[in-house]
Amino acid sequence: MNICVVGTGYVGLVTGAVFADLGNDVVCVDKIAAKIQSLQAGRMPIYEPGLEEMVARNVGDGRLAFTIDLHAAVRQADVVFIAVGTPSRDNGETDLSQVEAVAVEIGVAMDRYKVVVNKSTVPVGTGELVREVIARSQPRPVDFDVVSNPEFLREGSAIEDTLRPDRIVIGAPNQQVAMTLVELYAPLERPMIITDLPSAEVIKYASNAFLAAKISFINAIANICEAGGADVRQVMKGMGLDSRIGSAFLQAGLGYGGSCFPKDVDSLIHTRLRLGSPSGVRLACGRRAPPRIWTFLSSLRSFSTSC
Amino acid sequence: MNICVVGTGYVGLVTGAVFADLGNDVVCVDKIAAKIQSLQAGRMPIYEPGLEEMVARNVGDGRLAFTIDLHAAVRQADVVFIAVGTPSRDNGETDLSQVEAVAVEIGVAMDRYKVVVNKSTVPVGTGELVREVIARSQPRPVDFDVVSNPEFLREGSAIEDTLRPDRIVIGAPNQQVAMTLVELYAPLERPMIITDLPSAEVIKYASNAFLAAKISFINAIANICEAGGADVRQVMKGMGLDSRIGSAFLQAGLGYGGSCFPKDVDSLIHTAARLGYDFKLLKSVAEINRERAGLLVEAIRKALGPLDDKIVAVLGLAFKPNTDDMREAKSVEVIGALRAAGAAVTAYDPVATDNARALLPPDVVFCDSPYEAADGADAVVLVTEWNEFRFLNLERLRAVLRRPVIFDGRNLWEPERMRRLGFEYHSIGRKPVLPS
Repeated sequence: MNICVVGTGYVGLVTGAVFADLGNDVVCVDKIAAKIQSLQAGRMPIYEPGLEEMVARNVGDGRLAFTIDLHAAVRQADVVFIAVGTPSRDNGETDLSQVEAVAVEIGVAMDRYKVVVNKSTVPVGTGELVREVIARSQPRPVDFDVVSNPEFLREGSAIEDTLRPDRIVIGAPNQQVAMTLVELYAPLERPMIITDLPSAEVIKYASNAFLAAKISFINAIANICEAGGADVRQVMKGMGLDSRIGSAFLQAGLGYGGSCFPKDVDSLIHTRLRLGSPSGVRLACGRRAPPRIWTFLSSLRSFSTSC
Repeated sequence: MNICVVGTGYVGLVTGAVFADLGNDVVCVDKIAAKIQSLQAGRMPIYEPGLEEMVARNVGDGRLAFTIDLHAAVRQADVVFIAVGTPSRDNGETDLSQVEAVAVEIGVAMDRYKVVVNKSTVPVGTGELVREVIARSQPRPVDFDVVSNPEFLREGSAIEDTLRPDRIVIGAPNQQVAMTLVELYAPLERPMIITDLPSAEVIKYASNAFLAAKISFINAIANICEAGGADVRQVMKGMGLDSRIGSAFLQAGLGYGGSCFPKDVDSLIHTAARLGYDFKLLKSVAEINRERAGLLVEAIRKALGPLDDKIVAVLGLAFKPNTDDMREAKSVEVIGALRAAGAAVTAYDPVATDNARALLPPDVVFCDSPYEAADGADAVVLVTEWNEFRFLNLERLRAVLRRPVIFDGRNLWEPERMRRLGFEYHSIGRKPVLPS
């Protein structure tokens, strides 16, 4: 399949390399010329075990290329992945300006039917926003579909995580569109969840927020252990052996950090606020969210800063 | 080994029966004479699959006996298990009066070295308290040790859970004491965690509180799904396949009830506060859980309009399926809120009706079948997901209802099927099926 991946950060680069390795023709796009030149010269902007070799192999075999020409790359592609950054604003809201800018350019470039896949971590409702922006930006109406396909890779094991994910989530408007993605991922032979777009978007945030909750929970227990003379490592062992809990992410410590968890927790809290407010523009939300559902997440936030 | 188990509730009775079944000599003690007489006659005070047979077999073989004579039972035993109730006070604090009373009697009766094992769910520090109370109550100083060995059984599968636990937690002051318990549990061939006493006490509360947190988390996500047009069952599947999360306890619904989770969550919040730590995360867990019933009734009010001239049929009253236990059952909250809004309530439960009568308003009409409950009602509310409700004749149900409206508090049915059957269907964290 002809694939275009927009954005050459962790997600974009690893996704592009893996799809090329599976036999597709992939073009990775970034607007920063220096980054593309560097990639063309075989230098990776990030360190990730196995990535450099995989990129070199697929560039050598002619299945992987890098360009700053988004217009040409989109035209050539059957499937376009959006994998740009979605940083947090100071108030916790997700900054979607890069996603929107890419959507505009995809709309402008679109000459025939394409599947546009959102791989960036975005709040529920963003897929619909991307669809609207593309439709508005097209010089003349061309049919297309938007799919949500959130990424679950972790830095340090990104290639392995992409090749052997616990599950592949595909949020598509209908089965036929979903099948395009199923075909792409079929060689991995991993469990797939085919669902609607908003549910796929929620899965990503809910998963990360839950893991953040697990970390904050054991850190709170660590405080109780200190005060009560117990040993949190023993408690962790005792909890972790419960098959309904599991020992992953039960290490007490200084709390969670990194580029995902704090951002995703803030964003989910913000999503709740937005869905709960009458000015929740552009998002087809039928009902006002009940109050209080964010207290849980808000308390996580106070944990991550206080622990 | 000679074992004495004090308390014949769920934990005590199942523990005693299983240890007898493993070949030990067990005496179960309770201060309520009627309960002991009943047990001696082979009648169980609780319903638990397999328990009656196991008790009968071991009583028959002479390995299991029941008595009200705690003094004699303790003297005879090498190991004494405390398995009495630890209810919540209104402020969330754990009421340890039964544990303390038993500790006093054990101290009074103690004539030689014994291992005293706490199986009741107790806050961190209770083992130390039990040690002090026993020492203080002894007529003359006799050496003994206190061990924490929390129980993880669930009602409805208590025997199986006791025979095949995920892990056995032994909190002992030293390795030698721990070995006594290891020896007792060795035939089960399950993973054991040998640790200190306070850590064992924390493990039990922390595990239950975490599972409660998992339930409240997915319920909070369900609220977001409803507002954002997503489907919480799909989200649950997507999260559950993550090996670091797992799908257990990720069912969105009316929240947790029963005799353990609400109590253990409150107790851990209270214990944390006593130790100087404000457990905000767990307070939110409890708060989300408390909102569930109110949110459902609010949705009912929105869909039906004012409820003061409406009849609502409630299906399922027990706190969970396969039990007659009504403690902290969500049905009590839902029916309370429905009555407060003026609705008349009919109700059906396969086994919990007798226990429910005592807890529900006197004007609730209890019925013998789901169809009788639904007859002439303006809506059906599913509160407890009994298996028989999966196989309801929904066409018959629709035919007897005044309005074909269902509120599914446990996501038991498929929205598409309900649409085809002509219902207005509201569930948790999914788009409602509205009349076209």
